[in-house]
Amino acid sequence: MGNETADVVVIGGGIIGMATSYYLSKLGLDVVVVEKGEIAGGTSSKCDGNILAIDKEPGFDSQMSLKSQELVTELVKELDEEFEYRAPGSILVCENEEEMVAANAWVEHQKQAGLPFRMLDRNDIKSEWKYMADDIYGGLECATDSTVNPVLFTYALAVTAKRLGVRLKTHTTVTKIRLDANGAVEGVETSSGLIYTKQVVNAAGVWSKHIGQMVGIEVPIEPRKGHILVSSRTKSIGTRKVMEFSYLMSKFGKERKVDEETEKYGVALVFEPTASQNFLIGSSREFVGFQTQINVDVIRCIARRAIRFFPVMKDIPILRSYCGLRPWTPDHLPIVSRVEEVPGFYIAAGHEGDGISLAAITGKVMSELITDQKTTITTDPLRYDRFQKTEV
Amino acid sequence: MMEKQYTDVLIIGAGPAGLAAATNLFESGFKITILDEFPHPGGRLLGQFHEESDGSWWIGRQVASELVEMTKQPNISLQCGVSVYGLKQISEGWEVLSSVGTIETKYLLLATGAAEIPVPLEGWTLPGVMSIGAAQVLTNVHMVKPGDRGIIVGVNVLGLAISRELAVAGVDLAGIVLSPNNLFSGENANPVEAINLLMSLSHLAPSAWMRLGGSLAQKMKMGKWVSTFFPRQGMNVWDIPLLLKTTISSIQGKKSVESVVLADVNSSGQIIAGSEREEKVDFVALAGGLYPLAELAAVAGCSFLYLPELGGNIPLHNEQMKTPLSNLYVAGNITGVEGAQVAMAQGKLAARSIGNDAGLLKNGREKIAEAMDEVHQVRKTATIQFHPGIIAARKRVYEMYDSLQKESLTS
Amino acid sequence: MSKLRIVNHPLIKKGEQKRISFTFNGESLEGLEGEPIAAALLAHGIRILRRHEESGSNRGLYCAIGHCMECRVDVQGKGQVRACLTPIVEGMEVVEGKQLENKITGREAP
Repeated sequence: MGNETADVVVIGGGIIGMATSYYLSKLGLDVVVVEKGEIAGGTSSKCDGNILAIDKEPGFDSQMSLKSQELVTELVKELDEEFEYRAPGSILVCENEEEMVAANAWVEHQKQAGLPFRMLDRNDIKSEWKYMADDIYGGLECATDSTVNPVLFTYALAVTAKRLGVRLKTHTTVTKIRLDANGAVEGVETSSGLIYTKQVVNAAGVWSKHIGQMVGIEVPIEPRKGHILVSSRTKSIGTRKVMEFSYLMSKFGKERKVDEETEKYGVALVFEPTASQNFLIGSSREFVGFQTQINVDVIRCIARRAIRFFPVMKDIPILRSYCGLRPWTPDHLPIVSRVEEVPGFYIAAGHEGDGISLAAITGKVMSELITDQKTTITTDPLRYDRFQKTEV
Repeated sequence: MMEKQYTDVLIIGAGPAGLAAATNLFESGFKITILDEFPHPGGRLLGQFHEESDGSWWIGRQVASELVEMTKQPNISLQCGVSVYGLKQISEGWEVLSSVGTIETKYLLLATGAAEIPVPLEGWTLPGVMSIGAAQVLTNVHMVKPGDRGIIVGVNVLGLAISRELAVAGVDLAGIVLSPNNLFSGENANPVEAINLLMSLSHLAPSAWMRLGGSLAQKMKMGKWVSTFFPRQGMNVWDIPLLLKTTISSIQGKKSVESVVLADVNSSGQIIAGSEREEKVDFVALAGGLYPLAELAAVAGCSFLYLPELGGNIPLHNEQMKTPLSNLYVAGNITGVEGAQVAMAQGKLAARSIGNDAGLLKNGREKIAEAMDEVHQVRKTATIQFHPGIIAARKRVYEMYDSLQKESLTS
Repeated sequence: MSKLRIVNHPLIKKGEQKRISFTFNGESLEGLEGEPIAAALLAHGIRILRRHEESGSNRGLYCAIGHCMECRVDVQGKGQVRACLTPIVEGMEVVEGKQLENKITGREAP
């Protein structure tokens, strides 16, 4: 096996690795992607597909999403293949008065930050959603939220990156990251040979902790398991994303007024119609290691939650279900950063359920960091060393 | 919600393996529940019959009736029309989620059988195109002909065996042709490969058409004989034209099947240009072969092995029919594609394993050895064989099981 | 009865089955008690069980053992069922699976 060289080696062929590779190759860099399985074979194909600002905390988080949304509209034109992009907006619905009050505050915050949010009353909901339960109080909307097919999106990035010269090495495992005498990146050893490079991007998602250990750092990313159900083809229930307001509570680990099982599995309604006449139903959040077996109790719990909001779903068959592992970080923000103590080592991981949402901005920023350009957004809140600071 | 039911042994699949297991377990006094998604018990037995070498007929439906009769015991509950959609390991066995509610069981036996490998080709979604197994079920189980005139696609054991059943029932067949030569067909589209596989099985199976194939093989050298000696217009096997130099290129019809386009092929399965012709039929039966129906083993969390000789991905198990998961057993075609008699012998063996593990079998080790021996004997003398490499492949499965068990003990 | 019914099989004997009536797309038909919808319809020469939800193309029975899900029909009071596994009962109202609109792509129902 001959040794090869690259300007950058990207570890991970998921949405983050592909977006990073695409933006790097656009800048003319020579990029090799090392992926242990298939492109989009991990979390990026075990998820749903949204570019959402509606569920991001007002401020940096939502601005980052908004920027990502803008970039995706450009990608629709730039990439070689389509990925079922639509921008119908999305909504959150409230079950009770308390949630309406909290939703109102949320909307005000977002509006102040310049995002296109608005409240929806009961009539707004009723007129758009024929099949929504009668007792829904109202909700809120983010008008710019968009949706994509996550697998096609990853492939579109991969195909275009490949055309731009990126070499994709699938079914190839990273065995070691070589550092020079000064502790800087020198190369990547893989199951198919050595690649000399001075720069490595750890875009290994839930496995990025493992990759980090190869250069002696602890990346605080843990797998968080999520289940999704797929309906059979059916009459249209709705045309855009709906989540329950208390999804935000579940996402940020706050207390909710739900039954024990719903709480235990972190179940909250996420409804996403697809172009294939079916819809996806989520979601759950559990820390159970790397185990990805379907748990029927969770499936039942998700289905029950969905039926609470859409009683009509009681009669719609489930086609299948799947699980994915979301790369969780302690503060719910990804790490998009240099690692100062290992020159040439970068991390682009830890997006939990926002990988599809934030892939474009992550890839763009990562390409800017590597080429020492001013970044599109500030990256301070995304720095790797933020975790070290809090520990001291 | 429906109330939870309890049972000692739950068997999924009321085919030859499942029914045989139940009938060999009822004396244990266990409470036994058998579930099957099909409305009638018997599984594939219901549609099968073939002629034995002495000229007598083996009729699966009769075998099924006898087995069902034997399950009429106070401690056996046979429930048909029930779908199982989930399995969960619990501390004392398994929880089985079904369309009649949750059933908790100590021992679980998966005897789900096999399903058919699809054969995609142009026009295959038209009504009237079906798997060969569907043609068998319609004809021999529901007793409705699949159509007025049909064609069989796929020269393999299953295709030939069911063709004969259809002919006996009076179904008009235009012939048996090779699988379409496309991305999905692999060796099935190659006439030399197809006939070689049949020949390699013929010495094992002295039934009528196997004998025919065998004697031809003696006369002619294997391999290229098809292209040199086999008549292009085919030759009749029980009055069905066997067209070894003909393939199907598409299925035609506006609302449902009206005709197929056939073409001649050379010895490597490539279509000879200009040989295309239309044949009027109103149904097409696609014989792509069988694969073990093992989704539930995957749901249970079983590890799998891929062995083409056994039909594809099979759940890991040992010769006693045990999987690495505690109290989970397998029997029948889920362990590899073979005939119904082998499945029945495996069902009996699984029953003995369960009885022994429960401490209810006297001289357990001997009884299990005896049942294993019976499986070997039945396999050796089976009329219909599916693959020449079955015995070696099974041995590899058992070795893999043993080595993995050793590994988990030492780690 | 229909010409596709096998009445005198040389090897297989089935017990007497009661004739019952059911409807398909509103048309009243006769079938045998206990046989699945797909068999009862085929005995009348009816092969088209549904139109594909997206393309509208005709679909029929494929595997006959409940595995492929191609034979989905609607039964009054039961919702979507597999025609190959669901036995007919007296008075059952069966309707073919229909092509549906696709509001995401904007394709309208026929």
